[in-house]
Amino acid sequence: MSRLHPRSAVVRIARAALQGGFFGFFGGSLGSGMFDFPWFAVPGLAALGAVVFSGYALARYLRFQYELDGDTLTVESGVFARQSRQIPLGRVQNLDVEQNILNRLLGLAIVRFETAGGSATEATLDAVDEAEVERLRNYVRTHDRDEAAGTAAATSDAVAGTESGRSAHADLPGATGPSSGHAGDAQADTDRGASHTDSGRGPDGSLLFAFDQRELLTYALVSVRPAAPVLTLASLPLGMDVVWAVLRFNAGLVGASLNGPVVRWLLGSPETSRLAVFAALSIAQFLLLALVVSMALTVIEYHGFRLTQADGDLRYERGLLRRYSGNIPLEKVQSVTIRENVLMRRFGYATLAVETAGYSGGNQQSTQGVAVPLAPREEVYELARDIEPFGDLDFDRSPKRARRRYLARFSLAAAGLTGVAYAVDSLVLETGYWWLAALLFLPVAPAAHLRWRHRGYDLSESVLATRSGFWRRTTRIVPYYRLQTVFVTRSPFQRRRDLATVGADTASSTSLLGGVARVFDIDEDTATELRNTLRERLRVDIAARRSGERSVETVERVGETDERAGETDEPAGGANERTDEPDEWSGEA
Amino acid sequence: MESLHPRVRLLWVLSTVIQASVLGVIAYLVDRFAVSLPQTVIIAGWVVLVLLGVAHAIAAHRIWRFDLQDDALFLLRGVVTRTDTSVPYVRVQHVDTTRGPVERAIGLASVVVYTAGTRGADITIPGLRPERATELRERLRDLANESEATDAV
Repeated sequence: MSRLHPRSAVVRIARAALQGGFFGFFGGSLGSGMFDFPWFAVPGLAALGAVVFSGYALARYLRFQYELDGDTLTVESGVFARQSRQIPLGRVQNLDVEQNILNRLLGLAIVRFETAGGSATEATLDAVDEAEVERLRNYVRTHDRDEAAGTAAATSDAVAGTESGRSAHADLPGATGPSSGHAGDAQADTDRGASHTDSGRGPDGSLLFAFDQRELLTYALVSVRPAAPVLTLASLPLGMDVVWAVLRFNAGLVGASLNGPVVRWLLGSPETSRLAVFAALSIAQFLLLALVVSMALTVIEYHGFRLTQADGDLRYERGLLRRYSGNIPLEKVQSVTIRENVLMRRFGYATLAVETAGYSGGNQQSTQGVAVPLAPREEVYELARDIEPFGDLDFDRSPKRARRRYLARFSLAAAGLTGVAYAVDSLVLETGYWWLAALLFLPVAPAAHLRWRHRGYDLSESVLATRSGFWRRTTRIVPYYRLQTVFVTRSPFQRRRDLATVGADTASSTSLLGGVARVFDIDEDTATELRNTLRERLRVDIAARRSGERSVETVERVGETDERAGETDEPAGGANERTDEPDEWSGEA
Repeated sequence: MESLHPRVRLLWVLSTVIQASVLGVIAYLVDRFAVSLPQTVIIAGWVVLVLLGVAHAIAAHRIWRFDLQDDALFLLRGVVTRTDTSVPYVRVQHVDTTRGPVERAIGLASVVVYTAGTRGADITIPGLRPERATELRERLRDLANESEATDAV
C-alpha cells in the first residue's frame, strides 16, 4: 500500500491549520464579546483549532492508502468512518488527471478513476507526483492487454489483417496495429520505466491532433458558449463603475444625459430613436464583451490541446491554468458524436466527442468527452472511423409530411407569441405596434424546412447514425452492440400524421444532456421496422462478438473493421438482412 | 401481450386522489393564511383533477401492454404520448419487485427492470398480482442470465 505524495500532505495540513486557526480565532472573538472569555481565549482557541484541524488532516493523510495489485485498485480511507474500496481495473472507464496551479508548482497532480456505476468519481488520489501519475496510467492501460497476452498470438493475424485493409492514414491509429502483436513486452518496458513521461512521443503513441495558436483562436471564435452572456451579465455588478462610465459615454454619443433619474429619462423620453440607438449600442457592446469572455474561457480551457493514441487508449491534454489530461480506453467508447454549428459548417470544421459510461474530460459540463474540439470535417470523420468503424453515411430524411408538422408547430408558436404581444400591447403598453410580432411568421417556413433538412438517420453496417439540428447539427454514431433500450414514441400530433420517433439509448454518461440518439418523425411502419432491426442487430452483433472476437476486442479495437467486413461474407441469415435492408429503407422514404 | 391487472386503475385513481387532496390542502392553507380563494374553486379543482385521473387511469389501463418476446421485454404505454420500449434481456442489470403502501393496501405489486442506459434506465411494470410479479422477476432474471453478454459498459 502506498500513500499520497508527502508534499500534498504538507499542503493539506497547512490549509487545515489555517482553517482551524481562523475558526478558533472567530470562535474566541465571539466568546470574548458575548461571554467575557479571558484575554488568552482568542490566541488559545486559534492555536487549538489549528492543531485539531491539522491533526485531522494528518490522520486523513496517514489513513489514505492505495495499491494497484493484479487487476484491482484498492483504496483505504477515512479516519472515523473507515472505508475500503476495491475497483476492478477492467471496469475503469476513464482515468483523468488534473493539475491546478499550486500542484503544477509542486509537481503534483490529482488522479481520478471513473467507473460506470455511481454518480461521483469512484477514486480520487489527491495528489501524487508526476512519475506516479505515469505509472498509474500505464498500469491501467496495459492491464487489459496483459490479461489478453495469452490470446494475443491468436489475434495477431487479425490485427495484421486490419493494417492492409486500412490504407488511408498510416500515421493514425492503424499504425499501432502491429505493435500490439507484441504488446506484452512493449508494455512491460513502459511499465517498469516509470519516468516514461510523454507517451505521445513514445514508441507506443501517435499524435492524432493538436492545436496551434491560430487554430485555438479560430475554435474559440466559432464555438460560442451560450453560457457566456449569462456569465458576463452576472459579473457586471463587479465592475459597476466601468459599466456606468460606458453607459454615460453611450448616452453622450446620442446626445442625452444619464445624470439625474435614469428611469424617468428612459421611460419619459419622447425621442424613441435616440433611445433605440442608445439601447442598440449598449447591447452591441455587451455582446462583444460576452464574445470576449467566451473566447477567453475557451482559450483557457483548450490551450495546448493534444490528442494522442497509445495502443487502445485515447489520451488528451489541455488547459492553460489548470491542466487536464486523461485516458479513454477505446474499448469503453459507447458512442461517438460529431457536432457542427452553423459557423463551423460554413468553414468546414467539426467537433468530435467520444462518450464512455464514466465521466471524462475533467469538468463535467461543456467539455464532457470532447475528443477533438475543432478540426477539418474530413479529419474528424476519419478519426471517428478509427474509433468506431463505419462506412460513408447516407442519411435518409423524414417523409415530407414531417416538414408540414414542423410548419404547423412553428406557426402555432408564432401565432401564440403574436397573441401574447397583442394582449400585452392592448392591456399595458398601448403603442399600437403589436402587429410587429406577426413578423415572426416570416421565418416559420425556412425554419421548418431547415429543421426537416437536417434531420435524418442511416442504418449502416455496424452503426446507427442519427443527425439533427440546424444551429448545432449533431451526428451521433451508435454501434449496434452498444444499444441498451430501444423506444418508439408517438405524440398525439405525430399520430395524426402517422409519424413516430425512435430512440436508441446507450450507457454513455453524456446522454443526461439529451444525448440519446433519436430518429425523429419517420413513418410509423418504418419506425416499427427500425425498432425490430435495431433489436435484431444488437442480438447478432453481440453473438458475433461473443464467438471468438472477445480477444480481439481487448487487444486492439481497430481489429473491428476486419471483423465486420468478414461477417458480411458469411452466409448467416443476420448478415444477409444487414446488406438488404438499407435499400428497403431508402425506398420507403 | 399481457395487460395489467384491472385493479391497477384503482391504484392510479387512489394516487390521483391523494395528490389532488394534497393540492387541496395547500390551497386551503393558502386561502387561510395568505390570499383568499373561493371555496367552490378549490372543490371544483379537486373534482376536475380526480375526474381527469379516473379518465387517465381507464385509458392507461386500456393501452398498457407488456410482453416477454424472444430477445427483449416489450412494453407499450402512454395515454398522450404513446411509447413502446424494448429492453433486450442482454441489457438487464437487475430486477426488483416493489410494493408501495397503496399497492400493498389493494394487493398489487410492481416489477422494476434496470438497465445501464441513461434514458429509461429503470422501467416499471405496475399493477401485477404479487405472485405474478415474483414469477416475472424470476423469469426476467433467468432470461437475462441465459443471454449473458459481453460487457455492457
